Amino acid sequence: MSKWGIANIYASYNNIIITLTDITGAETITKATGGMVVKQAKDESSPYAAMRAAEKVSDVAREKGIDSIHIKVRAPGGNKSASPGPGAQAAIRGLARAGMKIGRIEDVTPVPHDGTKKKGGRRGRRV
Amino acid sequence: MKGVRVPKDRVGVLIGKEGETKAYIEERAKVRLQIDGEGEVMIDDRNIEDPLMQIKIMDIIRAIGRGFSPEHAFRLFDDDEYFELMDIDEYVGKKPDQLARVRARVIGTNGKTRRLIENLSGVFISVYGDTVGIIGNSVQMPIARSAVDMLLRGSEHATVYKFLERQRSTLRIAEMGFEP
Repeated sequence: MSKWGIANIYASYNNIIITLTDITGAETITKATGGMVVKQAKDESSPYAAMRAAEKVSDVAREKGIDSIHIKVRAPGGNKSASPGPGAQAAIRGLARAGMKIGRIEDVTPVPHDGTKKKGGRRGRRV
Repeated sequence: MKGVRVPKDRVGVLIGKEGETKAYIEERAKVRLQIDGEGEVMIDDRNIEDPLMQIKIMDIIRAIGRGFSPEHAFRLFDDDEYFELMDIDEYVGKKPDQLARVRARVIGTNGKTRRLIENLSGVFISVYGDTVGIIGNSVQMPIARSAVDMLLRGSEHATVYKFLERQRSTLRIAEMGFEP
């Protein structure tokens, strides 16, 4: 008898956050971020960090008896980047490699029906 | 069942001569594609074996829709290859003459700039309408993205080439497989 959970993956260019919840999404079972598994801040969003975070999550998941998961991926969205960072795919691969059964994958990036102005001002980001 | 839209003039490319491109995608990804003449693509992904394919297939179809040839888009079937889309109108607005000017900056004379970015960083680039599409792996992508970003923001071409040359060492290290 397999117990389902939901892995909510938030992948930006700077970090990755994997939150594992029960099927309702209201109860968090465990979470892992890029910063928890790598030393250097610039590696937080790397595929490697995503893979390690996924392993970490699936270790706890197995202890709690969850062996199949649905996945919700999201990018920053809104007026920021709409495509998930490189970590998203790596995280899903990591979960699959750790022996989790993957169910549906859904993209839950928030999409504005025309929202607020992008940060940076009229003349763009000046470095 | 998921839906993607591709521009009308890319529908023919997505289907291919006598449907061979569509057939290849269906065979390789284990999906069924329903494409109508308006560019609405429905993906039936019930029989997918590799869970990651659910994401990849969307990227592949979007990439073909944004001007990539199927041969280039099929690079996305591999692991650690990503597709990214940059909007030109976020930088210069929607005026047609501005769009054409900036598009030309990214492409260069006879495609020189585009070719240089592609060769120096190892990505594929497609400039189509008001978007720039990039296909590359997790090391190449940030480099190519910032090169295109510099061009869109108005950097001189020489600056961008110099930037790309500087990044060569990072790429070479990654190519040899020394990832963290």
